[in-house]
Amino acid sequence: MAQEAHGALYDLLAVRGVSRRDFLKYCGSIAATLGLSEAMVPQIAAAIESGAKLKPALWLNGGACTGCTESVAQADSPDVATIVLEILSLNYFETVMAAASDAAEKVKEETIAEGGYILIYEGSVMTGFEGGTLVVAGKTGLEHLKEAAENAEAIICVGSCAVDGGWVMGRPNAAEATGVQGFLNHEGIATPVVNLPTCPVNPEWVVAMVVQYLLVAGDDAAKFLEMTPMVTRRITDAVYGTDVDLLFPKSLFGQTIHDNCPRRGHFENGEFVTEFGSEEEALGYCLYKVGCKGPQTFTQCPVTRWNRRASWCVESGSPCIGCGGLNWVDNNTPFLMRLSDMWLGDGLTYVQPGSIAAVAGGVVAAGLVVHGLGMKAAGRVPGGAPTEEMKEYDRKRMAKKGGDK
Amino acid sequence: MAAHAHYREAHPLVFVITHWINLVCMVMLAFSGFYIHYPFFDGFMGVARGMHFVAMFVIIINLTLRIILAFTVKTATQLGSREVETDIKNWLPQKENRHQFWPTVKYYLFLKKESPISAKYGSLQKIAYLATVPLTYLMAYTGFGLYGPTADWGFFAGGVDMVGGPMNMRIIHYFGMWVFIIFTMIHAYLANIYSFAPSRIIFAWKETVESEH
Ligand code: HEM
Ligand code: SF4
Ligand code: SF4
Repeated sequence: MAQEAHGALYDLLAVRGVSRRDFLKYCGSIAATLGLSEAMVPQIAAAIESGAKLKPALWLNGGACTGCTESVAQADSPDVATIVLEILSLNYFETVMAAASDAAEKVKEETIAEGGYILIYEGSVMTGFEGGTLVVAGKTGLEHLKEAAENAEAIICVGSCAVDGGWVMGRPNAAEATGVQGFLNHEGIATPVVNLPTCPVNPEWVVAMVVQYLLVAGDDAAKFLEMTPMVTRRITDAVYGTDVDLLFPKSLFGQTIHDNCPRRGHFENGEFVTEFGSEEEALGYCLYKVGCKGPQTFTQCPVTRWNRRASWCVESGSPCIGCGGLNWVDNNTPFLMRLSDMWLGDGLTYVQPGSIAAVAGGVVAAGLVVHGLGMKAAGRVPGGAPTEEMKEYDRKRMAKKGGDK
Repeated sequence: MAAHAHYREAHPLVFVITHWINLVCMVMLAFSGFYIHYPFFDGFMGVARGMHFVAMFVIIINLTLRIILAFTVKTATQLGSREVETDIKNWLPQKENRHQFWPTVKYYLFLKKESPISAKYGSLQKIAYLATVPLTYLMAYTGFGLYGPTADWGFFAGGVDMVGGPMNMRIIHYFGMWVFIIFTMIHAYLANIYSFAPSRIIFAWKETVESEH
């Protein structure tokens, strides 16, 4: 039993070059990511050890680049995260599964009919062209999502596209893409949705949510929602124009990158990189002036980090481009500018807010100088023009009255 | 409209002080705001943010106090007069301001020769002085939406969501600064176009009598 499962998991880990110690360390990082105490580590480890292949799950791909799949699968050398994700019995995972065509679709349909599964959804929901931009097995992606969402216990949206449409919904949004929650609201499907943004999704966050759901909340959607502190952000849906409330796990998306950034000391000191390839860059100064969106981006990247917790964007020298934000492309481009460009409208162009402001300020300043010269020319300064005897309004009224008489 | 005396009744000492506080805070907020927007020299971010965070509380308290005082302090009803009335009546449009908006615009556009009859301030100035109140509070609202300790309060977070996220909030806050810069340019220009007597009274509390022009 437990001993057996124990053995099986460690064999699996050993085959992939992961020691028991690595595994326990990994469980520790899950605990930290979830905001749980160290004391939970043995429990998490035990749960993962005994829980393998228990929970059916479907992974659906919407309109996206499959980067989130790449991010999670890390196919060249699977790490602990990939193995831990094997606690899920992924019955359908287009890009990765061995089954194909009818057989695969059949398994999927059976899973949906049986219920009791988690739906992991990657990519945007492309509503344009009646869903014709994405057709699988003769049905549009919209139909696939509706069917799978209706019977799921819970939905995990992986990556910014699934959250609100991501880069796919960036202007001009030709595919009329939106996020899962917005679409489900529109369709009247009430299955709970948890959002894990960033482009692509960080595999650690998927693992953390799966562990939280299956092991901490005991495989119970209601308990999961109750036990997981959430941040709610309200957006206007990109397609339907409705207000949509999105849920984000607070432990992952409750603080800005800026608040946890290792370069923050340099920020406060006023030590900035102004140019790439400079001495300041070599010194590891803050990337604020080269467009870092860390102050506006609410993700735990500096804590969780990326690529097997090796490093992350800012640590490795790139300004954060805000990929974990909402409407993140329109709100964060140009990537190397502090503020985003403003879109002046169809057929017009993008402008930096600073340019608009400087032009307005310059025009007013010049206008006042010209006006001052005009006042002088008109002989109004310094004495001022003589004050009128009576308000224009009163004079007109008097004239009217006079005429009436 | 220019050739009148400037008496202390127009701006009692307490308002000279609140005006000074406004000016100092605004300069601090705009300077540190520019710096936060784009640090144009090194080594000042900590100070700039500290400055911004202190001045923002001072200016809000000062403005609120100024509004309360408007109901208790008496000020002159007209420039060049010692006749006084509760300040709020002279701050809000007075009866002399009525129907005078367009004539005032025309006067400043050189479409009208005579200076329009005006109350304590002309119609344009009245509008501008009143507008500074909601504008300052708007700066506070957008600012607190960006301010770490308050950004996740529902009252502010709701506004951040409404404008489409913290980036847009920053841009609105940044444009708000420019509205103040433009206001200040026009305000200082209109106040001092005929002479610097208004500056003498509001900054140094020095009276000017009519004949000194
Ligand atoms: C009255 C209450 C105000 C509050 C609560 C407030 C608060 C803030 C906060 C929290 C920031 C962000 C600082 C950071 O992220 O490090 C900021 C930035 C800024 N503030 Fe204010 N502020 C106020 C008034 C003003 C005023 C009156 C001005 C201008 C006259 C101003 C101009 C700016 C500018 C230009 C920025 C930089 C925006 C950017 O990111 O480009 N603020 N303010
Ligand atoms: S690099 Fe970015 S996130 Fe880090 S301190 Fe600078 S601005 Fe903030
Ligand atoms: S640091 Fe910024 S750009 Fe990098 S993954 Fe995190 S949110 Fe995305």
